[in-house]
Amino acid sequence: MNGIDVHQLAAAYALDAVDERERAEFEAHYPTCPVCRPEIAGFRETLSHLAAASAATPPPSLKAEVMAEISTTRQLSPLLPEPVTDLAEFRQRRQRVLQLVTLAAALILIAAGAFVVGRQSRGTNGYAATAAAVFSRDDTRVVDLLGSGTGSFKVAWSPSSAQIVVIGNGLADPGSGKAYELWQIDNAGPHAMGLLDSAGNGQVRRVLTVDGAPSEWAITVEPKGGVDAPTGEVLFTNPA
Amino acid sequence: MFRSAPGERAPIDDAAGHADDPLGDLLTRAGRGDQAAFVELYDTLAPLLHGIVLRVVRDPAQSEEVTQEALVELWRLAPRYETSRGSVRSWATTLAHRRAIDRVRSEQAARDRTAREAQRRDLPPHDVAEQVVATLDATRVRKALERLTDMQRQAVELAYFGGHSYRQVAQLLNVPEGTIKNRIRDGMIRLRDELGVAT
Repeated sequence: MNGIDVHQLAAAYALDAVDERERAEFEAHYPTCPVCRPEIAGFRETLSHLAAASAATPPPSLKAEVMAEISTTRQLSPLLPEPVTDLAEFRQRRQRVLQLVTLAAALILIAAGAFVVGRQSRGTNGYAATAAAVFSRDDTRVVDLLGSGTGSFKVAWSPSSAQIVVIGNGLADPGSGKAYELWQIDNAGPHAMGLLDSAGNGQVRRVLTVDGAPSEWAITVEPKGGVDAPTGEVLFTNPA
Repeated sequence: MFRSAPGERAPIDDAAGHADDPLGDLLTRAGRGDQAAFVELYDTLAPLLHGIVLRVVRDPAQSEEVTQEALVELWRLAPRYETSRGSVRSWATTLAHRRAIDRVRSEQAARDRTAREAQRRDLPPHDVAEQVVATLDATRVRKALERLTDMQRQAVELAYFGGHSYRQVAQLLNVPEGTIKNRIRDGMIRLRDELGVAT
């Protein structure tokens, strides 16, 4: 991106009216740009006035919900290697730290072998810690899968961690020798993500690793031996 | 690293300025885990954040979820807030708007909304009009918006409240992308100047 283009993007960026690539490019640029940096600050201040003109009181119940949630939400540590003066810059820096942490974690996991990986994903404590890590990321998106199946499935995907969390509740018994299976669907078709053993109480809690940028999910019931392509009816998928 | 030098930024004509931002103290206390301080922040910020989320997300139930996410995020990030980032209001609004945008863009619904609005073209009236709190801000903002050209206002509102990227706005209005980028930019500069926000 050349200099002129970048500066022209400041207003659109402040309005969150850029795509993800432009957002990333601009966030790499503006913290060091003497033109864009104050401009962004001014635009954001302007927008907070625009937002204030639309102020709307949320339902009273929200306050109790927020306070309950924060009472169990851990705050980030104030300690950083250098003072961070901007949210975008902070996000970027945290991204780099997370990448290092992810790399370190990956090396540890490789060293520890498949046994530990299996326990990490399936053990209740391992699941909770990993799932919490996925949910705490800024880029995590949660999709409620819809369909004809009994119960519900939710998939939370964090592109930066390449991990997804699969949560199933109130599921019907898939039948003897069968299990729910998650598929990632792209232009090339469905790819098996793995069988989802339910805990016997109709619940599924799994963390899985994902390649690429999945856009669609589907859940079927398959034999526990595994299949190359879905054979069962699609019970849950992304909302249309 | 890029801490603002003292005096680099003139204070804006508003109590929510930077150095003497009354919310700054509350956020600092909340950043040390003070939930009572966060309650006070909630009372001030929740209507501001919910208002913008509601305008972008539209669906009341989903908006509540997003407002809640934004407020919890504010709590989580509070220890890292510094006054040099701008006012608390500005920081919180940025955070909530981003959350709202992520919500509408992550959903297929965004595509449907685009299709619906392409047929309408002109901006729908605010569905939350009756909920709009009459504030000094509202009057000032309305007047400032009136100083924009229709084209500039339309582009800014479709992007900020409609949750559309400038490319989508260009498609909706059937206007070249560069033109929309310029309208957004000129509109924002005029709005900023009309509101007397210093840079």
